[in-house]
Amino acid sequence: MPRRRANNTHEDDEPSHDDQVGDQYDGYESNGGRHVSMKRKRRDGEGEEEEEEEEDDEYDNDEEEDYCRRKRRSSVRDFLDDIAAEADSGEDEDDEDDAEDGFIDDDVTELLKENKGRMPRRPFLPTEDDQDDVEEMARRIEEKYGSLSRPEQYDEGYGEETTHVEQQALLPSVRDPKLWLVKCEIGHEREAAVCLMQKSIDRTELQISSAIALDNLKNYIYIEAQKEAHVMEACKGLRYLNPKKIMIVPLKEMAGVLSVKSKPVDISKDTWIRMKIGTYKGDLAKVTDVDDMQQRVTVKLVPRIDLQELADKLAGVEFVKKAFVPPPRLINIIEVREKNIHVERKRDPFTGEYFEKIAGMMFKDGFLYKSVSMKSISYHNIQPSFDELERFLRPGENGDGNFSNSLLSGDTKTEHFSKGDKVLVVSGDLKNMRGIVEKVEDEYACIRPDIKDLPETLTFNVKDLSKFFETGDHVKVVSGTQEGATGMVTKVEGRVLVIVSDASMEEIRVFAHCVMKSSEVTSTNNGNKDYQLHDLVLLNDSSFGIIIRVDGKAYQVLKGTPERAEIEVLMYRDINSKIEKMGTTEDRFRNRISVKDIARIVEGPFKGKQGPVEHIYKQTVFIHDRKNIDHGGFFCVKAKSCTLLGGLYARGDIRGGVMDSRVSSLRSLACIPRSPGRPQIRRDERRYQSGRRGHDSIVGTMVKICKGHYKGSRGRVVDIKGQSVRIELESQMRIVTVGRSEISDKVNVTTPGCDAPLYGLGSETPMRVHDSMREPGTPFHDGMRTPMRNWAWHPYASISPARDSFSLASQLERAASPASGWASRNCSAPGTPRESRTHANSANIMRSPPLLVASGMILIAAT
Amino acid sequence: MFFHIVLERNMQLHPRHFGRNLRENLVSKLMKDVEGTCSGRHGFVVAITGIENVGKGLIRDGTGFVTFPVKYQCVVFRPFKGEVLEAVVTMVNKMGFFAEAGPVQIFVSNHLIPDDMEFQSGDMPNYTTSDGSIQKDSEVRLKIIGTRVDATEIFCIGTIKDDFLGVINDPTTA
Repeated sequence: MPRRRANNTHEDDEPSHDDQVGDQYDGYESNGGRHVSMKRKRRDGEGEEEEEEEEDDEYDNDEEEDYCRRKRRSSVRDFLDDIAAEADSGEDEDDEDDAEDGFIDDDVTELLKENKGRMPRRPFLPTEDDQDDVEEMARRIEEKYGSLSRPEQYDEGYGEETTHVEQQALLPSVRDPKLWLVKCEIGHEREAAVCLMQKSIDRTELQISSAIALDNLKNYIYIEAQKEAHVMEACKGLRYLNPKKIMIVPLKEMAGVLSVKSKPVDISKDTWIRMKIGTYKGDLAKVTDVDDMQQRVTVKLVPRIDLQELADKLAGVEFVKKAFVPPPRLINIIEVREKNIHVERKRDPFTGEYFEKIAGMMFKDGFLYKSVSMKSISYHNIQPSFDELERFLRPGENGDGNFSNSLLSGDTKTEHFSKGDKVLVVSGDLKNMRGIVEKVEDEYACIRPDIKDLPETLTFNVKDLSKFFETGDHVKVVSGTQEGATGMVTKVEGRVLVIVSDASMEEIRVFAHCVMKSSEVTSTNNGNKDYQLHDLVLLNDSSFGIIIRVDGKAYQVLKGTPERAEIEVLMYRDINSKIEKMGTTEDRFRNRISVKDIARIVEGPFKGKQGPVEHIYKQTVFIHDRKNIDHGGFFCVKAKSCTLLGGLYARGDIRGGVMDSRVSSLRSLACIPRSPGRPQIRRDERRYQSGRRGHDSIVGTMVKICKGHYKGSRGRVVDIKGQSVRIELESQMRIVTVGRSEISDKVNVTTPGCDAPLYGLGSETPMRVHDSMREPGTPFHDGMRTPMRNWAWHPYASISPARDSFSLASQLERAASPASGWASRNCSAPGTPRESRTHANSANIMRSPPLLVASGMILIAAT
Repeated sequence: MFFHIVLERNMQLHPRHFGRNLRENLVSKLMKDVEGTCSGRHGFVVAITGIENVGKGLIRDGTGFVTFPVKYQCVVFRPFKGEVLEAVVTMVNKMGFFAEAGPVQIFVSNHLIPDDMEFQSGDMPNYTTSDGSIQKDSEVRLKIIGTRVDATEIFCIGTIKDDFLGVINDPTTA
């Protein structure tokens, strides 16, 4: 279409005027729309032009003939009005009112007259070489729009200086011609508009001002006219148009019709785009050639071609079209030849490069080169992922420079720099210079170069800078798919960083611009606080698992199926809840395993591995082995197939061996790791324990909490205060306070060393007896403190060195008489054998501490 | 790098430990509490070598616990960026290998392994050159290029892509 307007040298009152118009042409062309205006031209010979400013009819008849000849060439250009003036261009509002007047009355009528004269002289295809014609045209355009009395409209350009208010003033008013929406056959919108143009040239009585076909609007065209009847009239006889369906465009929306919101197309060679339709929908492609005229681009794609299918198709074999899209894979020409597909080698006439032509498709280096319409691609905000870019990396083209350059063109997003960032200059004279950002102001950053001779600070455009990291830096990913991850840089490849993630110990590749330096360590990869990495979660299908990876909204869960590593990727909605409970379970030898205990796997596929227990659920334990990198180091086993390190190994020994039970009771008494000072402490504990009155006898014993928040937890009693008991929980290394009534002390029944309490308490008995047998004169409270304890200690202390090998018999002997007496007094269990009596006694002590207190007091009172 | 430094800590002691052995108890508790811990500033506390000074205890209201300020000498181990140290390889995979230098775990990425060392998978995954191979239990000399300090551990990234770094003792040849 001859829409362009040459740079004219037209000298006029407003020289800048024409240039502006020209600019607008260019701008408009790229918008891809059409605005065909059919200003009716004057028919009468005189006054071809409307020169609003001076005089209207100044042409004399001599010139007319000549003019008309030129006119017929230029007239089409006059009709093609490429200026979307209403919405976009700036105008001065003070001219507005004049413009309204001039627009219709003078202009239209004059144009009408002008048109009459030209009518018989068709066709009017212009020839470009006609210089006079260009000048003439320029003048005509100027006159035409000058007649609108809006000269400034074009001087203002694209409204950079115009304010919002001024823009408002340009909007169409009620006095302007209305815009009518006319239904049109699909695919013939442009044709219809051109027909209308022709019609208006041929028939001057048509009362429409313009006809507009928008590329982005199918099935309709716009016609600008004062009255619906005029539109009807214009549409009469055009079969593409359906004049029965005419709608008026509301005044408010008129500007919207012609305003172009999309940015100008800035597709250039080597930009990354994405395909919008077809087999390659969503695929990344690289532009190799742009044809602005045809609105087409040639793109380079990773082909998705099923060679077998192609071969069958070419061979004429009947084939069933597969439902799935073949995966992207580079084409290997040798492979193609093997399939007996004809490969034609062809040279591109323009670039001189050789292409392989297979079944009408062009290939080079395994990539598909395809010419596509600009409409079928999207080119805004393309953020290629790393994997995609890697696919475009030819094998062997692994050079840093090449690759990072190609990445450079890929990211159009400007980086966000902050003070203190280390940066590298990537373009300009100071390329490859490093520095530290001092200040950032919009597009410019002041950096302090690390070269001494240079001035203190230099200012760069942020586009020339790139963030710079060194291996070993600890960074955080702030955007992109890996957002939120932290890790240490192990390699810098141009603008790509290889990071060892803190959470997963895996290497991830990210762009330098997505990363910032940070000392923060996140174990979770997302901002969603509900589920975090390494949480035990209950899934919707009532199974459970541990989160081993968080990718944005997706969670990778290692399911709780013992002996197998079952991984499932789940969305947030698939997860029911987090399991907070910290239970305990029993190992192969019925040792109690709680969280943070170290367990070794003795059977199954994970045999030999060991590590701290992270979670326990039902009979399944999740163990973290840091030497294992699969699944974040976690694996899941049955509790029965592991043993607690430092626990009891053979269940069978428990019954027989006194020693074992002792050890086990020691273990359960104090979960303190063995240290040099240990025996001492233990002895002290003993004394302390025994030194108190009877009600303290449960101090140091294992109890189970049977009510309240900590229900189900077990722990060692560390202190008793009134009705509250402080218990050191076995599962969590902390001490909690619970009510006295909330504990049950039957735990010992379930412990492996079920005999232990007997002896433990048996050994305590004498001391209690000692307590009770001391001189009655001592005040109750003071008495049981220091002097009493001292007194009590000695006998015990004498035992303690030999405690490890003490004789059961002597111990029982010691316990015998007072205990039985005590027992008979309080528990009314006389006549039973000695040992069982003691047992009963201790059981009683264990079961009913309040009673014990009472009995202790009774004892004192009695003595 | 190891340091022998004096640190201070406020120890809380339960009244039950008071008595003749108070000091003993205090020390053993200190050892239990401190040895093996890790702080970002000082690194791992490897061992307590002596007590400098135990200050006056302060009885806390309400609990009866007593707080003693204890000054103690200890050996700490703190890896630094740029430090060269020797470590034992614990795991080898295609991403690189993990090595341990005492309590510190070090990861050497395959980007930081010389290019002539190739990964060989199999029963005993290793990185092999003419000089020797890196596999589990090999001893390597490496340079630390980055550290990350958690509450409980220090993790490092190391390199052997430098002069005089690499295998120093190969279990297969020994």
